[in-house]
Amino acid sequence: MSVNEAPLYRAPLWLRFKGQLAGYGFLSPWLIGLFALTLGPAVSSLYLSMTDYSLMSSPRWVGADNYVRIASDDPRFRAAMNVTFTYVLLSVPLKLIFALAIAVLLNKGLKGLNWFRAIFYLPSLIGGSVAIAVLWRQVFASDGIINQVLMAVFNYEGPSWIANPNTAIYTLVALAVWQFGSSMIIFLAGLRQIPTDMYEAASIDGASRARQFFKITLPLLTPVIFFNAVILTIDAFKAFTPAFVISDGSGGPIDSTLFYTLYLYQEAFTNFRFGYASALAWVLVAIIAGFTALAFLSAKYWVHYDD
Amino acid sequence: MTDAAAALSPMEAAQQPKGLTRAFAYAALLAMSFVMLYPLLWMISSSFKPENEIFSTGSLIPETFTADAYRRGWNGLSVSFGWMFLNSAVISVLAVVGNLMSCSMAAYAFTRLQFKGRKFWFALMLGTMMLPQHAVLIPQYLMFLNFGWVNTILPLVVPKFLAIDAFFIFLMVQFFRGIPRELDEAALMDGAGPLRIFFRIILPLSMPVLATAAVFSFIWTWDDFFAPLIYLNDIEKYTAQLGLRTFVDATAQSDWGALLAMSTLTVLPIFVLFVMFQRLLIEGVATTGMKR
Repeated sequence: MSVNEAPLYRAPLWLRFKGQLAGYGFLSPWLIGLFALTLGPAVSSLYLSMTDYSLMSSPRWVGADNYVRIASDDPRFRAAMNVTFTYVLLSVPLKLIFALAIAVLLNKGLKGLNWFRAIFYLPSLIGGSVAIAVLWRQVFASDGIINQVLMAVFNYEGPSWIANPNTAIYTLVALAVWQFGSSMIIFLAGLRQIPTDMYEAASIDGASRARQFFKITLPLLTPVIFFNAVILTIDAFKAFTPAFVISDGSGGPIDSTLFYTLYLYQEAFTNFRFGYASALAWVLVAIIAGFTALAFLSAKYWVHYDD
Repeated sequence: MTDAAAALSPMEAAQQPKGLTRAFAYAALLAMSFVMLYPLLWMISSSFKPENEIFSTGSLIPETFTADAYRRGWNGLSVSFGWMFLNSAVISVLAVVGNLMSCSMAAYAFTRLQFKGRKFWFALMLGTMMLPQHAVLIPQYLMFLNFGWVNTILPLVVPKFLAIDAFFIFLMVQFFRGIPRELDEAALMDGAGPLRIFFRIILPLSMPVLATAAVFSFIWTWDDFFAPLIYLNDIEKYTAQLGLRTFVDATAQSDWGALLAMSTLTVLPIFVLFVMFQRLLIEGVATTGMKR
């Protein structure tokens, strides 16, 4: 992505100097933020990650010890990885499928598109708030909506989904899938880019609707699928609020909702192990970077870019 | 920006599904809408029910209509929810002001001003958008602790004035690029400086993108839970989100009515903005892939 080309004429020297001044002047708030809030802290947290630091005394250098402990001797880290990967690997594909299916349905030129689009988008907009997490606790509680429906329809007495360590994580997956709306909007925008004459030609050749979907829609939509998948994956790794509220900040029951970010929060702000938490943070950064790199490497095998 | 959904081309019209397919599509969409909205409607209706009615019926219409849960919830903590709403409003409005000022300045520099290192800084800006906040979280906290800013709103607000949400810079850069350069060149000929061009030409022509950034900025700050959680300790300083979460603990879920009433209230401002700026929000997501 390049910034604009230089103007055609060459400004006089005094104006060019003024330009430098103006450029850095306008950029200064961001530049201060860049150094004070991003670059400085990034370097500092890399350093902290190789220390033992708890506010009580100054940081003590421990080299790679924190990373070694994360890799070899931390059951809660493994629990957090387990929970987070389950969450990412379930919620992202499900969200993509729902978003794509509804977008395709909405793209058929039905009336009321704007209404449906708005309704499906609303959960994405408010889904990250504490209120919705509170609501979700109720929805999946032992006397909550889900169990009321199960009782009324199947006469089945459902468990307390939130309190059961085997099911708690799936209530959070459901909460994520409920928020498929923003991906759906991006899919809708992508679907509008597909020229209608392609379908016209395919219809004349006698291609069925299903065939049109798999031979035209899906391949032409792969760049959008790729984009959504990457963004959703990064977001899912960073999820925090719902797990915190549903488990009262504990990640329970029995660490079954211990999202990675929640573990990081506990280490830093309840146990005050700033060194260890910094190491955890960089491991998360590495995981996210690894996933993103993997996605980009895989793109050339399935993402359709020429046209 | 026009809404492509409004008009159908003749071809699209010809491709519209007919009869049974159409009925099936509508049935599926309506059922889906109901499932999606049911929890929200249930939350709102339950907040107006007496406590014993909340779990006895899944009906969305209260048999006995009462706003008592709102009264109980509003004063349910040692500090009134009204005060915490005010805290949230102050922080969110300051965040909007900070983001609009600092991000539009940076975007103006990146798109309109000639200076050495511009491309380098721009690339670095894009890079910071990718860096997860967690990488810088702890040193930021320690720095603000050193400044004596913990337990004040400063750590939540000051970074916004330093364009920490680089995403909005990116959004504005995209928009500013679409403003014809002839306009600023003409103004330059008339002797206007960069400051004048920024205020008199670029900003007035950028109302759509400024509005989008303002609405998203407000909603995200209003909804933010993590930053207030780590920076605000005293209940008088709490935001509505923190208050709600404290209320969950305080009631130990014994007063679901009050809890749902306060939940409804914390979502209300977002809902109002959603109704008012629905098109703007959806276009923002469609054109930039903005999340949440």
